[in-house]
Amino acid sequence: MNTTTAVDQHIVEKVRNLNSSTYILKFSRGGLEFTPGQHLNVGKKGSGQHREYSIYSGSDSDSIELLIKEVDDGMVSNQLRNLKRGEELSVKGPYGFFLTDIRPEKGEKLLFIASGTGIAPFHSYIRSNPGANYRIIHGIRDMDEAYDPEDYKKGRYFTCTSRGQKGDFHGRITDYLLSGAEEPADKVYLCGNSSMIYDAMDILRASGYRHDQLFTEVYF
Amino acid sequence: MKVLKKVAFKTLGCRLNQYETDALVTSFHNAGYHIVDFGEEADVTVINTCTVTNQSDVKSRNTINQAAAKSPEGLVVVTGCMADHYKQKLESQEQITYVVDNDHKSQIVSLVDGHFAGEILHPDQVQGDRFNFDTVQKSLHTRTSVKIQDGCDNFCTFCIIPSVRGRAISRPLDDILDNVRRVVDNGFKELVITGVNIGRYEAAGLDFEGVLEKVLEVPGDFRVRISSLEPDGFSDRFHELFTHPKLAPHLHLCLQSGSEQILLKMRRMYSAQYFMETVERFREAIPDFNFTTDIIVGFPGETDEDFEKTLDFAQRARFAHIHTFRYSRRSGTRADRMPDQVPGKVMTSRSEEIRKLSESLRLEYMQSMIGKKQRVLIEKVSGKMMASGYGEHYLPVEFLTDDNTKNRFADVILTGIKEGAEPVMVGKDSSLQSER
Repeated sequence: MNTTTAVDQHIVEKVRNLNSSTYILKFSRGGLEFTPGQHLNVGKKGSGQHREYSIYSGSDSDSIELLIKEVDDGMVSNQLRNLKRGEELSVKGPYGFFLTDIRPEKGEKLLFIASGTGIAPFHSYIRSNPGANYRIIHGIRDMDEAYDPEDYKKGRYFTCTSRGQKGDFHGRITDYLLSGAEEPADKVYLCGNSSMIYDAMDILRASGYRHDQLFTEVYF
Repeated sequence: MKVLKKVAFKTLGCRLNQYETDALVTSFHNAGYHIVDFGEEADVTVINTCTVTNQSDVKSRNTINQAAAKSPEGLVVVTGCMADHYKQKLESQEQITYVVDNDHKSQIVSLVDGHFAGEILHPDQVQGDRFNFDTVQKSLHTRTSVKIQDGCDNFCTFCIIPSVRGRAISRPLDDILDNVRRVVDNGFKELVITGVNIGRYEAAGLDFEGVLEKVLEVPGDFRVRISSLEPDGFSDRFHELFTHPKLAPHLHLCLQSGSEQILLKMRRMYSAQYFMETVERFREAIPDFNFTTDIIVGFPGETDEDFEKTLDFAQRARFAHIHTFRYSRRSGTRADRMPDQVPGKVMTSRSEEIRKLSESLRLEYMQSMIGKKQRVLIEKVSGKMMASGYGEHYLPVEFLTDDNTKNRFADVILTGIKEGAEPVMVGKDSSLQSER
């Protein structure tokens, strides 16, 4: 795994709005190497404030992309959304070990479970490993939170919508898991808020998964 | 007669800091300085600071002020994590002569020597190395640490250390083995493998188990203890290594909370269930294996129910000691921005409950050890020939001896417990017993 700290320049290339609160921040890579699943500490250069964001883009892409949800009264997420092309970022990292246990060469069947922007590390993984044997269950409120669904292979991306009536399943991820409709996988990776992960882990353990098949990354 | 310059030390915080101070004491001693107690007037005072909580910052600042007030003409050298975290701020303070970050800590002697020779250098101008500390020779301890790793990449939400100590780095195996041989040659009988997150050791294709295996292969009459360890990423090989006679059957495995929900919020790298399975797996192989732990009480959002889970977990795991920490806010961490901060009174009461539980679990564990043999490393022998030290399970033991030599192993049969604020196992030297 790469563990160097990036010290090169990172220049904003684009802010792509996905819905009223969520956007993708794209910036120059500046020699930064990472493993899908890792996160960065990012802030506006000179602001002295950083927040952690998982990398959304693939490991071979020319730029780095982060999937960011604006936090009410948040200091950094609002500032980053208002950055203009050409402005400089302060970037520390990459950090973390999430997804580093996957052995793509073994063809493991992977189940990715995400809530909201917790889908970012899985998007990065799939972009980096297009041949992966995966399925994603994405818990969202409405379909406007289904970010870039066309980036996933047909039948691999499955939405659980808690508010809207559209989507593959109406209800929470945990309701879907309890329905028993999902086929077993070799490994399950969960990323999102701690309540979802906690409840989902209980269900997965009860359905027979061992701890060494379950991996988590909490978003706040 | 040449008057030796006096140097005093003060260490705050973790075991790694303590080890690094011990090494600095050795370096100053070897360089001809006279070591004096902190609080005495000195030509040089080295303060190895900690910044893990806001309270640690306050303690570190107070210590710096104390040192400067006691020795206004002396050099004040501030090092450790606070020196990393507040470098510029500290450098602007007139009472501090040098602010030396962790990268350059091992070079403090050359910096101070240079100063007295009229060569004033900024600490950043000397060669930095996280592992280039002198081998500990002059120490009050019978055990010494061997540093194999520094830094942490885990980013637990309550911890500032990854931002301060920096990224995880591992010491090359050859350096480690050279260090082990030298401390064994210096007469140390117990080596504590230490670092910030030693389980994440990774160098030249070798993992933590790999490096431990190599250390155990070094010839000599010594034993190896593992310092505090994060309970993630053990392989089967790790369990198997504990069959080696040199490896002490004791682990300080940091639980922090027995509530799965709180562990997720702390962003720990394991579940409570995995932790318990680990404990059970060890005890299947070595039933009297000693587990001790750290627990944080009052983490943001910790409910009474969460706390009950922690108490229940601690009972089931039968920890022989629990080091309890009241959660302390640390600016710059994710937990500091979390809602539902727990009131101080609640933390105090939870802390007290854990303390009581820890005491009763410790006595239970000690009871279970009566009748067993321990290989005690003697640290002290009193005038009444009462020897004291620690057995391989890391329990304090006292016994009568007819040999006042310290720093030697003695086989002792545990016969009882001397109760008190700090209970101690009592025993009989088995060699004396067999002669009677």
